[in-house]
Amino acid sequence: MTIQGIIVINLIGLMLLLWILNLVRRDRLYVGFGVILVLTILGVMFIVSIPALLTFVTRLVGAVFPASALTLLALGFIVFLLVYILTQLTLVANRLAALVQELALQQAKQEVERELGRTDDQL
Amino acid sequence: MHRSANRVLVAIPAYNEEATIREVVRKVQESLPNFELLIINDGSLDATGQILQSLGTTTATHLCNLGYGRAIQTAIKYALEHDYDVLITLDADGQHHPQQVQELYRQSMSSEWDVLIGSRYVATRNYSQNPLGRRIGMQLFSLLVKLIAGHRIYDTTSGLKVIKRSVLVPLTHWHFVDFHAEAIVYLMRLGYRVGEYPITVAERKHGQSMYSVLSHFKYPLKTSLMVLLGIVEASLTKRKERK
Repeated sequence: MTIQGIIVINLIGLMLLLWILNLVRRDRLYVGFGVILVLTILGVMFIVSIPALLTFVTRLVGAVFPASALTLLALGFIVFLLVYILTQLTLVANRLAALVQELALQQAKQEVERELGRTDDQL
Repeated sequence: MHRSANRVLVAIPAYNEEATIREVVRKVQESLPNFELLIINDGSLDATGQILQSLGTTTATHLCNLGYGRAIQTAIKYALEHDYDVLITLDADGQHHPQQVQELYRQSMSSEWDVLIGSRYVATRNYSQNPLGRRIGMQLFSLLVKLIAGHRIYDTTSGLKVIKRSVLVPLTHWHFVDFHAEAIVYLMRLGYRVGEYPITVAERKHGQSMYSVLSHFKYPLKTSLMVLLGIVEASLTKRKERK
């Protein structure tokens, strides 16, 4: 990779890092997600900045060019993140469903108790 | 009238059933006076909620639509919390005859079945009244259950079921799409007995089926996946129980 390429990727990485850290600071991004993103960006910046490491990674994933290796890793990361986000979404949906069900059950319970109270009054 | 020593809960999930719910509740209360009734209003957007309020029936209202499976799950939780011996699920579209529920319940009590399904096809074995796609799907799932669990269930999608307390807890241990083939396979693999008893259903006069065009594609895929996972889950549960 050219020096210019390394600088551009590191600059983009730095901007993303600042953005993510700011989002975490303002409670707009969950710290757990923030950690995953920060570690990934730092990892990419590290690999890109050391030519020998980039060559090693390129050979490791079976790519011919470093750019192809980085694209492959990025795709893998996106799929991983997608699955992770969908699991979190499912978790939230399950919690919401449990909450809605609990409210419904409480309401039904109150109705039964009210009905029983009414029957007792009549007796 | 059959007197019931067991505490029986009749649960009816309802979503946008303003056209039929009043009649269904009336029929159930008339035909099954010894059973307690719970309507699960699954986030209806029409007047179902107001009608239920005016009828004074016990209602568990979901604040938003969670789907049929979750509505049944709410009914199971309610049955467990309030110590019912038997849970009977029924559709709110008026297709089930409450008179047949009594017979189904009687059959269930005098037999070994942990779950007895009110089946539209066990007597005739004829699916021809359904559209082609649905017919193929129903037969495939029926055969799949036979293949996996060793006992054919002809009507895996019936909403009319008599569920004994023995299976209520296992049904809370895992999650299901619509408590159809996936729940049947799961229970059968755990060693519970699921049977069928013939019923007839009325034609749907009002409202729409809960299955949209898209769900005709999604349903078989989701259910097939859950059937396969059900086998794994049942094996893991059995292994855990052995330990």
